[in-house]
Amino acid sequence: MFLTRSEYDRGVNTFSPEGRLFQVEYAIEAIKLGSTTVGIRTSEGVVIAVEKRVQSPLLESSSIEKIMEIDTHLGCAMSGLTADARTMIDHARVTAQNHAFTYDERIKVESATQAVCDLALRFGESVHDEEAMMSRPFGVALLIAGVDELGPQLFHTDPSGTFMKYDAKAIGSGSEAAQSELQDKWHKQMTLREAQILTMRVLKQVMEEKLDHHNVQLAQVTPTKGFEILNEVQLKEIIDAM
Amino acid sequence: MSIMEYNGGSVIAMVGKDCVAIASDLRLGNQALGISSNFQKVFPVTDRIYVGLAGLGTDVITLRERFRYRVNMYTIKEEREIEPETFAHLVSSTLYEHRFGPYFIEPVVAGLSKTPSGGLKPFIAATDLIGCINFAKDFVVSGTASSKLFGLAEGLWEPDLEPEDLFETISQTLLNAVDRDAYSGWGAVVHVLTKDKIISRTLKGRMD
Amino acid sequence: MLMPDIAMAPHTLPTQHQFNPYTENGGTILAIAGADFSVIAGDTRQSEGYNIQTRYAPKVFRLTDRAVLAVNGFAADGNMFVKKVKQRLEWYRHAHGKDMPLRAIARLIQTMLYARRFFPYYVYNILGGIEEDGTGAVYSFDPVGSYEREACRAAGAAQSLVQPFLDNQIYFKNQTAPPDSAHPTHLPLPTVLSIVIDSFTSATERHIEVGDGLEMYIVLARGRNLAGLEGITGMQELTTTQDGERVFVVRRELKKD
Repeated sequence: MFLTRSEYDRGVNTFSPEGRLFQVEYAIEAIKLGSTTVGIRTSEGVVIAVEKRVQSPLLESSSIEKIMEIDTHLGCAMSGLTADARTMIDHARVTAQNHAFTYDERIKVESATQAVCDLALRFGESVHDEEAMMSRPFGVALLIAGVDELGPQLFHTDPSGTFMKYDAKAIGSGSEAAQSELQDKWHKQMTLREAQILTMRVLKQVMEEKLDHHNVQLAQVTPTKGFEILNEVQLKEIIDAM
Repeated sequence: MSIMEYNGGSVIAMVGKDCVAIASDLRLGNQALGISSNFQKVFPVTDRIYVGLAGLGTDVITLRERFRYRVNMYTIKEEREIEPETFAHLVSSTLYEHRFGPYFIEPVVAGLSKTPSGGLKPFIAATDLIGCINFAKDFVVSGTASSKLFGLAEGLWEPDLEPEDLFETISQTLLNAVDRDAYSGWGAVVHVLTKDKIISRTLKGRMD
Repeated sequence: MLMPDIAMAPHTLPTQHQFNPYTENGGTILAIAGADFSVIAGDTRQSEGYNIQTRYAPKVFRLTDRAVLAVNGFAADGNMFVKKVKQRLEWYRHAHGKDMPLRAIARLIQTMLYARRFFPYYVYNILGGIEEDGTGAVYSFDPVGSYEREACRAAGAAQSLVQPFLDNQIYFKNQTAPPDSAHPTHLPLPTVLSIVIDSFTSATERHIEVGDGLEMYIVLARGRNLAGLEGITGMQELTTTQDGERVFVVRRELKKD
């Protein structure tokens, strides 16, 4: 046990005297162990890309799923404890479908993000004598990409339930280096093509393995075609052009 | 099930300037099933009187014959043609004879009556199925589409229409009313009575 | 042969009282969509049987600057339904930071009505206003949520009087256009307003449940000028925001007999 954090480490809903929730902070730390994930917003659409860590040559790389569809106009990339993301994405999908059912319109990117974040602080919650549904904070961060009436947007959520809008954002183990690279290279007039290449470049720089079309995944959300995960042929073409 | 809606059908009459018009649909049905698209409901009584009989199909035929018989007897006894007002009362008393077992018909009368000065005055009337007369000055309606006919006539009709304008008004009123009534339609017939001629036209309408 | 006692005894059934949760409160509503405007109207008489409860009970309500809802049928259900719709619009504003678009309101109304499929709101709804693309629109509903976008619709006590009149005057049913020309798909505002007024004066004339007063709501698309409203007296603006759609209300007297 650490010296100063002795008692307050444990309770997920207990503030420390300094006003901190350690479990939430640790959860945020957990993301920094995850694979690098990058997202870039342009006026033509949003690109999200992830590094797939292929731990063994016997592993089927296509079974690593770190980018998921929320709705036809919404996509999501994750880093951290990816199993936790299932709960969140399930919730986002249900919220998006309920919205379309009730209002006959596509949910806004921000509203979907908000819905996901509403879940994030539900840990430790219990009603009367019943057991709490979740015992700890989520250990995953998301990059939610989408297009709505306000145009292409990119949001970042973390285990504290905070969300922020970004032009470009990197999360995961290589995020520090990746983020500063994005800060250097991102510009307002960037095309979707340039964004695709930039995500690959950034990933390449921070990945330990040599980047190829097996160990990365790239998806985009555009106003015309909505959410799509690029196939290996498309991916290879971008990597070759890089 | 209402007997008045068993066979369906609608009739309307309107007053114009020195003319009257009377029109009906041509449907005969057995509730929702269409049977005939050429079932006449409007009949000439004299050269200047027409009667429209909307209601139960069998009674349309029976009453037509009864009115023919009674008008013929009137002509023979009185040695003159019956006037529209008189015919309206004949219709009324014929129906009231069956006060407690009525014919299921609400008749409409349209005609041109002689004035003391020798001119002709438009006349319309309608009764309920036991003979209560309604002497309206503008238009009268009857049948399964009566509420629709009221709505249209109230919106389209205006005083002193010339024969051709009256024809257009009554035709539009009837056609648009029966198109919103499942029990009326399947074509229509219009008669416009003027001082020197009778214009009779069969209208094409929706056949659904 | 023995008869059972029960057959001999005079059998009186216990008196049963049945509570009927619904009333029909009369009146008529009507809406017509133009190319860049929409008119939603209703009379203000509220009756129960042959009694007039009040000569001024509004049936038409402004929901947002681009949506107006007319409700007809059972007044208590109607008022409660409008209240609930307004509440949902407020929640939507808070959750999504914008006014709900017209077609979203239409879908919301369907889900709200269908939620009560087995104890329905006894109301016919007509929703009018401006779509996201700036066109005038009318949506009509049945009490359990079947809905459709149309150019015009009448509902209520005098529906059977007014709807065929609208078929003829708005859709030009049974009318043939002159050679080399076609009937207009949307009518100008002054024409629409006179058709609405004519419809209600006609319905008032022939239907006992219609009359007393007429309220016409006019919704104009964003940026549309006031052309067609010059001659209208006593018009009142209800718009709450700048440079968006605009809502006006016009009140007229109807016969009170």
